[in-house]
Amino acid sequence: MYGGGTTFEGIKAEKKDDPVKLAEFEARIERGEKIEPTDWMPALYRKQLIRMIEQHAHSEIIGALPEGTWITRAPGFKRKMALMAKVQDEVGHAQLLYSAAETLGKSREEMIDDLINGKSKYSNIFNYPTFTWADCCFISWLVDAGAIVNQLANAKGSYGPYCRALDRICAEESFHLKYGHHCVIYLAAGTEIQRQMFQDALNRWWPPMMHFFGPSDKISVHSDTLMKWKVKMGSNDDMRNQFLDMYVPKIRELGFVIPDPKLNKNEETGRWEYTEPDWEEFKRVINGDGPCNKERLAVRRTAEERGRWVREALRSPKTVYQMPLA
Amino acid sequence: MKSLDPRVNRLPEIDIENSVSRKDPLDQLGTYEVFVQPKEGKPFQHEGALHASDREMAFVLAKESFTRRFQCISLFVVRTTNVFVSDTTEDSESVYDRIKGDVDKGGNQQSYEIFNLYKRGKQHVHIGSVSASSPELAMAAAKNKLPPSKTVYNIWTVKTSDIRFTQPDEMDLWNTLPDKKFRDASDYKGGDKLKEFLERSK
Repeated sequence: MYGGGTTFEGIKAEKKDDPVKLAEFEARIERGEKIEPTDWMPALYRKQLIRMIEQHAHSEIIGALPEGTWITRAPGFKRKMALMAKVQDEVGHAQLLYSAAETLGKSREEMIDDLINGKSKYSNIFNYPTFTWADCCFISWLVDAGAIVNQLANAKGSYGPYCRALDRICAEESFHLKYGHHCVIYLAAGTEIQRQMFQDALNRWWPPMMHFFGPSDKISVHSDTLMKWKVKMGSNDDMRNQFLDMYVPKIRELGFVIPDPKLNKNEETGRWEYTEPDWEEFKRVINGDGPCNKERLAVRRTAEERGRWVREALRSPKTVYQMPLA
Repeated sequence: MKSLDPRVNRLPEIDIENSVSRKDPLDQLGTYEVFVQPKEGKPFQHEGALHASDREMAFVLAKESFTRRFQCISLFVVRTTNVFVSDTTEDSESVYDRIKGDVDKGGNQQSYEIFNLYKRGKQHVHIGSVSASSPELAMAAAKNKLPPSKTVYNIWTVKTSDIRFTQPDEMDLWNTLPDKKFRDASDYKGGDKLKEFLERSK
């Protein structure tokens, strides 16, 4: 799972790229060919891709925490097995993504350091708590649904190793989505208390879900170059619109009320209209002041420190690091 | 720290803002490349990379990371540093055209596995093995012994003895997949329950 709220900063070429090489690079992307690790690429392309793939990897790792905490309390054996498999998938996705980012030249050690020191970001939505089982179901169904919208778009991007990792990830996410929907159908068709439990979760999670796709196009950093280079495959508002198109009807079908009286599809424009999400809150949470930011990093850092002796025991003086090949 | 999860409440306090953690080089161990054979009669192909302490660990992690769900009958792993990589060519130029048909003057003959890349953006595919005294000469030998029918853009060679293969008694590793249907989307059909609910709430 992954939020498209990737923040791009400093989008201007830092030094002049060789114009001939740049033209060849752009022509290759234009032809629909993939860029591979050994190909020439502009410094900005490399930098923004590392940032994006790394944020995606961290989101998989941190995203496993709010769900992982529910494994022991999931209702029944079958749900426990499924949730365990899902959490295992998410952590596996992070491994694939870290490897893809490494092919661009940033080591895994640096990436993990940047995460646990609070320097790298991850999807903002995981800074919110899961109070009940229904919150966990909301994540499994709808946060993963949002992630799939982003990932299917990004899988058509230009960087070979990232696209190949995403193809594999999307195939596994289809299980998450079906499982999450299954959980919510059972809550919807359950007792009045179960229905209310999901409605409460929906009320809590709707604002962060709207944040999930990143700031509105009106206020977000101009990213034409990244679109042309197929780093970013759609605007934040396009992704949000696509999600609403696919999932608002499914939520309403189950008789739940989305907590936004303005939410409505404008049939003329084909675009959804909604109350503008609170972007100040988004900024505040992404910068560390959310309900669970400290907890997420503390858990991650504790795991890293408790595992240190194992890694030290396994390390061989003969090991030589080499970037993954593809 | 106040958390909804009692296990988190028991964690020691960590002052993240005032303590910077720096990993040692190689804290995350070395890298291995993973190759998977999806079914009988299909070639092995490159699936990705992972970090591990040694070949045995890499093999176990490869099974978990790359063959947890999809059909697979065999896999192997090799340390990334043991993969010898050719130049990469463009358009209609086959990389084999750059390989000189040097005569292998003997020396220590060893078995090498050859992997071809037929399409940019796709994975390297295993095409067979040759005997040679160096990775470069293995590519030359492949040019003669395993002539490709399509344009090849990049070649990898790996000494056969550097590979951790699936052993014959491990071939049943993947037999448990049918027992793990709970990992598959097909195990979550909510249609009947949904229909019943919609009928009821009419």
